Amino acid sequence: MSVVEVENVTKTFVMEKSKILVLDNVSFSVGNDEFVCLVGPSGCGKSTMLRIIAGLEKADSGKILFQGQPITKPTPKIAMVFQLFGLLPWKTALENVEVPLEVLGMEKEKRKHIAEEYLNMVGLVGFENTYPHDLSGGMKQRVGIARALALKPDVLLMDEPFSSLDELTAKTLRGLVLDIWRNPTLPTNTFIMVSHNVEEAVFMADRVIVMSPRPGKVIGEVKIDIQRPREEHLRDSAYFSLVDEVVELLEKGKAKTKDESPLSLTANRANNV
Amino acid sequence: MTWLIITFVKNPEIKNLPLYTLSTVSRITITLLISVAWGVSFGIFAATNKWASLILTPFIDLLQSIPILGYFPMVIGFLFSIGPLGIELSVIVLLFTSMAWAIFFGVLGAIRGIPTNVAESARSFGLTGWRYIRHVVLPAIAPAVISGANLAWCDGWFFMIAAEYIQYKGAVVTPPSGGLGTLLAEAAYEYQDMSLAVILLIFITFIVVYFNTLTWHRLMERASTGTFKPVFKMDLSGVGKLGVARATRWLHFGRLHWPKSFSIASQRLRRYSHIEKIIAAILAISAIFLVLYIVFGQFPTSAIISEGFSKPPAEELGSLPLMIALTMGRLTIAYGISLAVAITMGVLAAEHKRFATVFYPLYDIGQGVPILALFPVIFLGLKQLLGIEGVALELTCIVMLVLDMIWYMFLNIVSAVKNIPTEVKEVGQIFGFKGLKRVTHLVIPSILPSIVTGSILSWGTGWNTIIFAEYLPSTQQGGQPISVLGLGSFLDKAGYEWGNTVLLVFLLSIVALIVLSMEGFVWRRLLRKFEKYHVEV
Repeated sequence: MSVVEVENVTKTFVMEKSKILVLDNVSFSVGNDEFVCLVGPSGCGKSTMLRIIAGLEKADSGKILFQGQPITKPTPKIAMVFQLFGLLPWKTALENVEVPLEVLGMEKEKRKHIAEEYLNMVGLVGFENTYPHDLSGGMKQRVGIARALALKPDVLLMDEPFSSLDELTAKTLRGLVLDIWRNPTLPTNTFIMVSHNVEEAVFMADRVIVMSPRPGKVIGEVKIDIQRPREEHLRDSAYFSLVDEVVELLEKGKAKTKDESPLSLTANRANNV
Repeated sequence: MTWLIITFVKNPEIKNLPLYTLSTVSRITITLLISVAWGVSFGIFAATNKWASLILTPFIDLLQSIPILGYFPMVIGFLFSIGPLGIELSVIVLLFTSMAWAIFFGVLGAIRGIPTNVAESARSFGLTGWRYIRHVVLPAIAPAVISGANLAWCDGWFFMIAAEYIQYKGAVVTPPSGGLGTLLAEAAYEYQDMSLAVILLIFITFIVVYFNTLTWHRLMERASTGTFKPVFKMDLSGVGKLGVARATRWLHFGRLHWPKSFSIASQRLRRYSHIEKIIAAILAISAIFLVLYIVFGQFPTSAIISEGFSKPPAEELGSLPLMIALTMGRLTIAYGISLAVAITMGVLAAEHKRFATVFYPLYDIGQGVPILALFPVIFLGLKQLLGIEGVALELTCIVMLVLDMIWYMFLNIVSAVKNIPTEVKEVGQIFGFKGLKRVTHLVIPSILPSIVTGSILSWGTGWNTIIFAEYLPSTQQGGQPISVLGLGSFLDKAGYEWGNTVLLVFLLSIVALIVLSMEGFVWRRLLRKFEKYHVEV
């Protein structure tokens, strides 16, 4: 059964008086316990899609359902991890994790306890009272993950969570995220991640949804049926052929928009006249 | 020592010095608290509410560009009638009109500067309404509020002498509880006692610098302790190791950060959309009407306007072009001097630690001295030296303008030289630029945009100061004031001597016209031209 359902979502941004179509009739669904990755070239609207699911943006048309109910504003049931971390610079690591719990009306002692527990889980013991300024990029993202998980959400959204980290740190954190996803004691088990890194997507996801350049459309999806843990299958031909399949879809999407672009240009010109 | 004693014996009023100090400090402190409360609440309101921002921001922008003189008729019309308390209140209101704006715009800028990822993550975790203000907005604006309050504090001291010694229609009104501004103005204008004036001036400077270095720098340093400055990139790279100089860094930031972003009318205009410009224009017109309405108790009829233009000092309107030319000439001379001195000082201070240790404290004191208070002192000194009143006043006027205009230039130049990218500097090293060649080929071109920004600020403050610099109030009760011919002194005559509001508004709009056309025709073009020189880092 699907937890998140996206149906015919369209989104336009107005920039300097001209309208830009960002998402064009996007539909997909994400099932319970599933790890889905949205892949596409930069500017294809995948981050916008994620922010619509988070309730941070509103779609122009179409439906976004969470457990059958429409999403209209941010809810603690759906938490998000940001590319640039989004930590409050004037709060310590611990306080940053505590803030969303405080919003839920939790008592000081209890929320402090939970925040400590989750910081511990992401491996940040001893950095509770450090300010984001003094944490490395990887540590900041650990705080970001702890903050999202402390809410015990049903769905975790991740917007290019590793793309501002160096490759080694990113590798460690990918492992951490997968461990969290597989951990049966944690209630959060539906993950939606946005990435432009195909290898990362194939390594982590159950299913990769490929989007075309702007305006973003779903041009295909690839089911990743490599056995987990996947670290040991990274040299298998199955892994490489799946990566190739995703890359091929991306190339196809690119070629398609290229074919269309002269047409759309003339169409625009006709409109202007 | 004997000199001190003689001065004090001659002026028995000096025994009131502690009381006067107390009343001036508390007056400025009260106004500061009101300004902070107003600035923070209205700033948050304007930054978070779209309609409030559309209406409030241009209106407050307009209010802040009206010189203190423009508020006189309103304040006097309303508050003087209440009695002694009314006079005390009117001093506070006048101070408020020169103190409050920096805080408001600081708050506005800080809220708009909150990074999107911080604002968005806060929203996604349910921080809305009051919670958003408490957890995100208040911490984000704290540094801006503190440095804004510091600017307001300095402005308060700057305008104190104008606010505590109000001249209106030939009479002098001073607050019943006295004040340092009153005392200084009396010493200089009424007794013409230079020794006393100098002593008072040193005393006032000491108080201003004392508070600046001890209270404000500490507050600013605490507000910015490590936790979140990197996110907002507020630090200016190292100034020096000297305590005062290091501390002034924070002041530098404050001065640099916002005058740059919102006191410059050119950026101001560029920032506004068409709707905002139209609203600003409508507000400007209605504000002028409102002033006239308050003064006359009715909407201005053509009869009142023509009466304003026939009453004195309207008969001098014929020489208005000459006045404009003279005033522009003074400003240009003062600007030229400031530019040359500021570039020399700024480049030396930014490149050589030895000069920095001299120039930074000089800057600290220089911009802490209430320049208005210097006026009578310089004038009396020059008069004794030269003997001719007219020449002395002319010189005094230019000296005052230079002392006022130079600091904005200096500050902008120092930070620009400091921020020349390492890459550009290394290119200079590799190709062997040295000494003067280095300055002309490398340093000056890289800082040209900042020189233009500094120039705009300098001219802005110059126009504000010229109103005081061309006109020395009467030295005795009922005596004749000394003035040089110019737009500034004409404004003073219309405002102080005759209370001719119609003429005052007319002349202020001429000043506004000159300022705006200079920005449009000179500064904005230069800015556009030099923008290309800016190296992206």
